[in-house]
Amino acid sequence: MSSHTYTSLLYLASGVLLLSAVGIVWGRPLRVAVRLLAAQGAALAAIPVLGGAYRHDWYLLGVGLAVCVLRAAVLPGLLARLVPPPVGLTDPREQTGAGERHETGPLLGTSASLMVTAGAVVLAYAVGQPLVALDPSPSTRAAPVALAVVLMGVLLLVTRRRAVSQIVAFLTLDNGIAAVAFLLTSGVPLVVELGASLDLLLFVLVTQVLTARMRVKFGGTDLGELQELHE
Amino acid sequence: MLSVSGVAGMVTQVVGVAAGAPLLVGWMRQVRARLEGRAGPGPAQPWRDLRKQLHKQNITPDGTTVVFAAAPVVLAGTSLVIAAIVPGVTTGSPLDRVGDLFAVVGVLLLGTVALALAGLDTGTAFGGMGASRVVTIAALVEPTILVAGVALSVPAHSSNLGRIVATTAADPGLVASPAAALAFAALAVVVVAETGRLPVDNPATHLELTMVHEAMILEYTGPRLALIEWAAAMRLTVLLTLLVNLFVPWGVAGAGAGPAGLLVGLGAVAFKVAALGTALAAAEVFLAKLRLFRVPELLAGSFLLGLLAATTSYFLTGPAG
Amino acid sequence: MITTAAMAAAVLAPLVAAMFTAAVGWRPIAAWSSVAASLAILTSGIVLAANVGAGHVYAGGHLLRADALAAVMTIVIGSVGTLATWGSITYLDAELRHGHTTPARARTYGILVPAFLAAMALAVLAGNLGLTWVAVEATTIATAFLVGHRRTRASLEATWKYVIICSVGIALAFLGTVILYFASVHAGGAGGAAAAGGGDGGGLDVDTLTANATHLDPAVTRLAVVLLLLGYGTKAGLAPFHTWLADAHSQAPAPVSALMSGVLLAVAFTTLLRVKVISDLALGPGFLRTGLLIMGLGTLFVAALLLVAQRDYKRMLAYSSLEHMGLLAVAAAAGTELAIAALLLHVLAHGLGKSVLFLSAGHLQLAHGSTAIADVRGVLARGPLLGAAWAAGLFALLGFPPFALFASEVGMARGAADAKLAVPLAAALVAVVIAFVALTLHGGTLLLGSAHPEQPSLRLSAAAAAPLVAGVVACVAIGVVATPLDHLLTTAARLLTP
Repeated sequence: MSSHTYTSLLYLASGVLLLSAVGIVWGRPLRVAVRLLAAQGAALAAIPVLGGAYRHDWYLLGVGLAVCVLRAAVLPGLLARLVPPPVGLTDPREQTGAGERHETGPLLGTSASLMVTAGAVVLAYAVGQPLVALDPSPSTRAAPVALAVVLMGVLLLVTRRRAVSQIVAFLTLDNGIAAVAFLLTSGVPLVVELGASLDLLLFVLVTQVLTARMRVKFGGTDLGELQELHE
Repeated sequence: MLSVSGVAGMVTQVVGVAAGAPLLVGWMRQVRARLEGRAGPGPAQPWRDLRKQLHKQNITPDGTTVVFAAAPVVLAGTSLVIAAIVPGVTTGSPLDRVGDLFAVVGVLLLGTVALALAGLDTGTAFGGMGASRVVTIAALVEPTILVAGVALSVPAHSSNLGRIVATTAADPGLVASPAAALAFAALAVVVVAETGRLPVDNPATHLELTMVHEAMILEYTGPRLALIEWAAAMRLTVLLTLLVNLFVPWGVAGAGAGPAGLLVGLGAVAFKVAALGTALAAAEVFLAKLRLFRVPELLAGSFLLGLLAATTSYFLTGPAG
Repeated sequence: MITTAAMAAAVLAPLVAAMFTAAVGWRPIAAWSSVAASLAILTSGIVLAANVGAGHVYAGGHLLRADALAAVMTIVIGSVGTLATWGSITYLDAELRHGHTTPARARTYGILVPAFLAAMALAVLAGNLGLTWVAVEATTIATAFLVGHRRTRASLEATWKYVIICSVGIALAFLGTVILYFASVHAGGAGGAAAAGGGDGGGLDVDTLTANATHLDPAVTRLAVVLLLLGYGTKAGLAPFHTWLADAHSQAPAPVSALMSGVLLAVAFTTLLRVKVISDLALGPGFLRTGLLIMGLGTLFVAALLLVAQRDYKRMLAYSSLEHMGLLAVAAAAGTELAIAALLLHVLAHGLGKSVLFLSAGHLQLAHGSTAIADVRGVLARGPLLGAAWAAGLFALLGFPPFALFASEVGMARGAADAKLAVPLAAALVAVVIAFVALTLHGGTLLLGSAHPEQPSLRLSAAAAAPLVAGVVACVAIGVVATPLDHLLTTAARLLTP
């Protein structure tokens, strides 16, 4: 693979990463968000896979494939089980379950969220300047893109009001951080990578159980219901 | 630096747009009609409509001022100026030196504002409503065109439209970059919004709750209405031309091209614009109009795409630091 | 090597206890296995303290690393862990008796508590910042279901907030870690992931980072340090990301609250101390000091004001922990040897004192079914032993002599004065006085207020009283005979003040 092709493909992967995050900010249906998350995981995995193929680094290639399995298949698969399947218009449950399939009542409207996202992107580039200055290689240049994804994850976390949305938001944030790691240093040391992946998997499992309990206790996953504890 | 080729190219462009714009609108209506299973009036129908309008009498509503009378002229004038600037047939237009992206956006906005003022000038509820809606849309559309344009101008190191088109023509690989793809998506949305097509505005409606453009021009009749319709068609044409040539610049004549080159350029651009128009019309068949309060969401999204395009383009290909 | 065995034991013993409980379910022998594991951690800590001296030792390549600071923290984990696991036995039995929990949930509890201890031991003994991060995130995962143990709406709410806020904070810390790694690789630390694939932390090794600190790119390091401060600060309960703390501490079972309040916050804070060494070398001492002072004083005032308005005794204890974390942050900002040594003593003494209070609070909650101060009055009259334990814990927390918090608070104040932080010190003192008055009033009401005649008697069984008595004895002991600790704390402090 030539250096030019590698750079183009790398930027393409970063672009898809960013676009999927924008899509998650833009859209309301949770199913779409979960699918975008899977696309995001695949784009993230493409970064180490491309690096491995370009530098003939089998270790990096292996890490990339593992990341792909975890973030493009396993985690979105677990999340998809939390979103009720779309039901036909004739189904009487259509009305009651609507809130479980869409993000309802986010703290910030779509337009405002998109505008804040625009600001976040600019901020990410500003914040990322020292990184690029330290090592102006093609992959470091794309790191601000990943930082922007991190900021979008934070934005989603702060504004979304559904349990599943918040998990999606956290995973977006985490994908962004993983992308920063791959772009800056071709990933962190193996033991840390393994530990972090395990933590992430456990996090999703734990929040999955909590979401299920929330449905039982609160009859839904609207986090606005969580108002018992306060000063 | 007036070159014969450049002047000839510019004249070709202006004449081509002036004559072709109603045909494009007619063609798009015809495509739509066929897809919906209707026979359709044929592509020349807008010209026949214009002729009919021109034979009617001008009516000036009571209480309107010179703004009302001047708006159609301003609108048509700005459309013609843009037609002269944009690199449609040739990149060597003598106005090319001022043919900066920012100038085009400014001139475009001038026409929009003129029409919005005319809508207000009539003092009717519809006029005001239409003006308010169109300004809401314009406030989001213009910055989007600007940021998307910045994204495209980075590889060419110039915001000059001719230069951008020439650079892209020289290196077709640029089109495949993420920045260009993002910019295309952003521009496509704003062109749709700016020209009042579905899903932002329905060009075929007179239903007061949904219309934007039609609401402003409700009081116009006769030659003035013809002028406005003609100018609106020209805006659609030049914006589609701009969109198509920024990303697919094949066939555009260079700065010193002869008559043959200009002819090829004219044919190429006519074909490309017709193809894009067909695609747009076909897409409209499957689209419903967005509720008005969702429109800002769409436009905010396209602004974000444009901004992403600009930042990506600047930071990934720009100089270090 | 005895140090290798000690480090391995500190991490593995609780894991073994967890697996044992998983196998046999919640029964006395499983409960005692957790206590044994905690004692093993405590022993490991003492062994390490006796052997590391002023240097450091490794185990498992560079995976595990112990120095005097790690030894102190291991001792804190071991001692508080012992009290908490010991107290868990009667606590869970009482819950089972009252039908608040089921055998299956008790088993989960018995698995997660030692797993939590193992994660904390790994966090302080990890040889590189990446592994520390993994361990700290693991503590969040392990405690999630412990906080939600009661399965009420309130505990579910607390769990969700806890998991989300802490995970996000810790995720930011990971971003900081990654960026620090980037800086380290460029400053000549071990190369990329391929070079470090062998198992050690490469450019994230604490020693590599410290050695290369002066070569780290300042702008990149600044970014990394800010993220690490925010991230670990969240986990340590520093304002403005403290909101999870009171909810989680008030909903968790009392022994778990003791562990979270007494140790977990301190473990997260210790990581900040490690970062501070690198930051001070790379950026000068002023950079992190500003951040710590802002967050520390913010935390102190938030805690003091919320203490005043408090009506719930478990939340009161949680905010008191918040106040102490604020104090630690101010002391760390001062950064003199005395201040750091006092800080470490403070961590140990606060951990023990807070454990006694939380365990007592657990008994009060079980007896009254309420955590409102108004529902629980006149404790001293109804249960002299429980009342005395509560009073002793409160005195320890308020910093009365002979308890060690007196010495540590004086030490931290002198350290701050030495560092010429007069204004922040004065502000901190104001907050401490507000908190002091509030704690005294609320604690006194609970202890001495007039009880309703129908309120239950609070006589403790011998088994329930034993951990409380042991805790009080330990509190007094480290206050009165702190000499053996002196040397260790000073050594640890010297490591952190290059």
